[in-house]
Amino acid sequence: MITAVGAGVLRIAEQVGGIVVLAGHVLRALVSLRAPRLDGRELVKNLYKMGNRSVPIVMLTAFFAGGLMMLQSGPFVKQFQADALAGWGAGYAVLREIGPILIALMFSGRVGANNTAELATMTVTEQLDGLRALAIDPVRFLIVPRVLAMVVTLVALTVIGDAIALAGASVVGHFLLGIEWSTLYYSFVDNLEPYDFLHGVQKAVAFGAAIAVTSCFFGVSVRGGAVGVGRAVNAAVVAAAVSIMLLDFFLTFLLA
Amino acid sequence: MSVALRLTGVHKSFGGHAVLRGIELALAPGKRLGLIGPAAAGKSVICKLACGLDTADQGEIEVLGEALAHRSESSLGGLRRRIGMLFQSYALFDFLTVAQNVAFPLEQRGGLSADAMATKVADRVRAVGLHGSEQKLTSELSGGMKKRVGIARATVADPELVIYDEPTAGLDPVTTQKIYDLLAADQARTGASVLAVSSDVVALARFVDEIAFLHAGVIRYRGPAATIADAPDPLVRQFVRGELTGPLDEAPT
Amino acid sequence: MITRIGASAVSAVRASRELWMVFVSTIAGLLRRRSAPRGELARQLHAIGNKSLLFIAVTLGFIGMVMTYQACLQLGKVTGDYTRVGSQFLRLIVSDFGPTLTAMMLATRVGAGIAAELGSMKVTEQIDALRMSGVLPIDYLIVPRFVACVIMTLVLTIAGSLVMFAAGGLTATVSFGVNPQTFFDLGAVRPRHLIMLAVKAGAYGAAIPVVAGFCGLRARGSSEGVGWATTAAVIGSSFSVIILDFVISAGALWVTGGDL
Repeated sequence: MITAVGAGVLRIAEQVGGIVVLAGHVLRALVSLRAPRLDGRELVKNLYKMGNRSVPIVMLTAFFAGGLMMLQSGPFVKQFQADALAGWGAGYAVLREIGPILIALMFSGRVGANNTAELATMTVTEQLDGLRALAIDPVRFLIVPRVLAMVVTLVALTVIGDAIALAGASVVGHFLLGIEWSTLYYSFVDNLEPYDFLHGVQKAVAFGAAIAVTSCFFGVSVRGGAVGVGRAVNAAVVAAAVSIMLLDFFLTFLLA
Repeated sequence: MSVALRLTGVHKSFGGHAVLRGIELALAPGKRLGLIGPAAAGKSVICKLACGLDTADQGEIEVLGEALAHRSESSLGGLRRRIGMLFQSYALFDFLTVAQNVAFPLEQRGGLSADAMATKVADRVRAVGLHGSEQKLTSELSGGMKKRVGIARATVADPELVIYDEPTAGLDPVTTQKIYDLLAADQARTGASVLAVSSDVVALARFVDEIAFLHAGVIRYRGPAATIADAPDPLVRQFVRGELTGPLDEAPT
Repeated sequence: MITRIGASAVSAVRASRELWMVFVSTIAGLLRRRSAPRGELARQLHAIGNKSLLFIAVTLGFIGMVMTYQACLQLGKVTGDYTRVGSQFLRLIVSDFGPTLTAMMLATRVGAGIAAELGSMKVTEQIDALRMSGVLPIDYLIVPRFVACVIMTLVLTIAGSLVMFAAGGLTATVSFGVNPQTFFDLGAVRPRHLIMLAVKAGAYGAAIPVVAGFCGLRARGSSEGVGWATTAAVIGSSFSVIILDFVISAGALWVTGGDL
């Protein structure tokens, strides 16, 4: 029992350590002045691929998330006959918490997991060793462009997703709760501040970085064939989910 | 039962690419048939079709007196238990030990007491030369040992038809010969019908009675194993002898 | 362009039909009750439940703190009246956040786990080897996971909800000086909210193993195939949780005439 707990703690410590070390490498590669700092083509390719791949699912998620928040605040609105406040609770929750978190979780499942699978497959088929044999640094060549691309993509998705989520909330508010479009519009405009939106976007930056680094870490540290690749993807999405929740907690207090 | 296995006009394509284009192949009961052909010719596809693990696009397949067309997965169970299959990549259960892997077909078939089952498994494990490794997990085994476990699992339930997909790929010549000796002894003991697929023609030819050559989606040639290197078809001769130039390069694929 | 959309629509229809068949076969296998190995259910309960407990407790605990913090912050700006924060938070946890967030987390951990396991069995031909012994892979592999996941989603939802509420209470007391007795008020929870919790947890618990198992059994190729199947399982099971949440919540609103 105690040995099992000890082994578990050691494994987690090892993984956290590995992720932090990899993050350090990425940062160093980003700030170092030696040219060429970044493979521009690889970055553009990743931006296109990640955005293309995740836009539909994230938009659907955002739409339903907004609708759900409106559904949850529906009973209050009905109870107090306070149609003018309908957008307040839903919009606030969507912009600050539910939007960024759900979008980040779906992004992690789609892009993060895919990234882990790709890197893990490259690792088990010894392609990474091939790069090293050609004196190409895998961090600089493969990982840095992916990290940058993921941060940019997630921020963009959160910005678009916020808008879609508010649209989803409005649709539910109008058709399921029977609130006028104009009332909904003013309930958003009067009660939400630009900072609520920025709060969520700032979180998206941190979530994107966390998803990127964890997914890369589990991709390159994979062991053993097809079984290993599956396990790596599983571990990566779990680690990303924990990081998202932890970061959300600290950022909420820091950004207030 | 006139034949153990018969494929008539079997077609199969994957993603628009026709792999099998009218296979005609029959295996008489108690006979050993070898199947050879270039890589990706569809040898493994034939093995899977013969067990109903995949379905043909067109054509008829008859196994141990039963037709495979339009059979549901659950109705195939009884037939499959009469067939033994050694998979190309072993396909050992990684959550079970060596002994549990070998015992699996017996457990699923049922009708044996625990003692009888244990005796049978122990016999089989000893016969394939894995005595002492019963409690190991399959991940701890070498490639040759995995093949042996796969063979033991394929033959433990005394199947009437045994299909070996690449029984010796990736093994050294000595181990290859040992494996074929084992397969031959097994077949002589049980009288089962055998279909063996291999790229190693020389070793295979010593084990089987007849060899069929699969090329461009059809069985191009079939003849006695002993004289395969002198087959009348120049294509087969080139393939078996491993010559670099010949009709194989120009033949349509 | 049009052919591409057409082709993807056709494959989507085919995939949903296959997914439906997996679900139907799972239920049929459940009723047949055979060929699952002995002790397998216990093993799956442990793998899905016990091994997720810490993960669920940590993630739901943190999000409980964050949500209470955000709610109090907003209330402080408007009314400064915190008396109903606790009871309303609990109502929201029971009727939605508890089961849905637990299931989102399980979709990540358990969904990916099932797909990784079944996907690697598929590409190493172990599934075919099972079929050669006359075993139905769905009965043998998915049914025990299905039962375990339905049970454990409910159990973990309850555990996660408790942690979430407690963590929220801690934040409200420490950061905003709310009296614990005011916060830990069970008054707003009605029986229909508990029914919602059970219905949602049951639906999510059923959806996750079916979607993930379907993705795993569809894996092709080698390591890429397994990676792809695992990714598809995470996204598919998370998304089905969101859709089910929406359908059940909207349905409940309609059934109760807005008085939820």
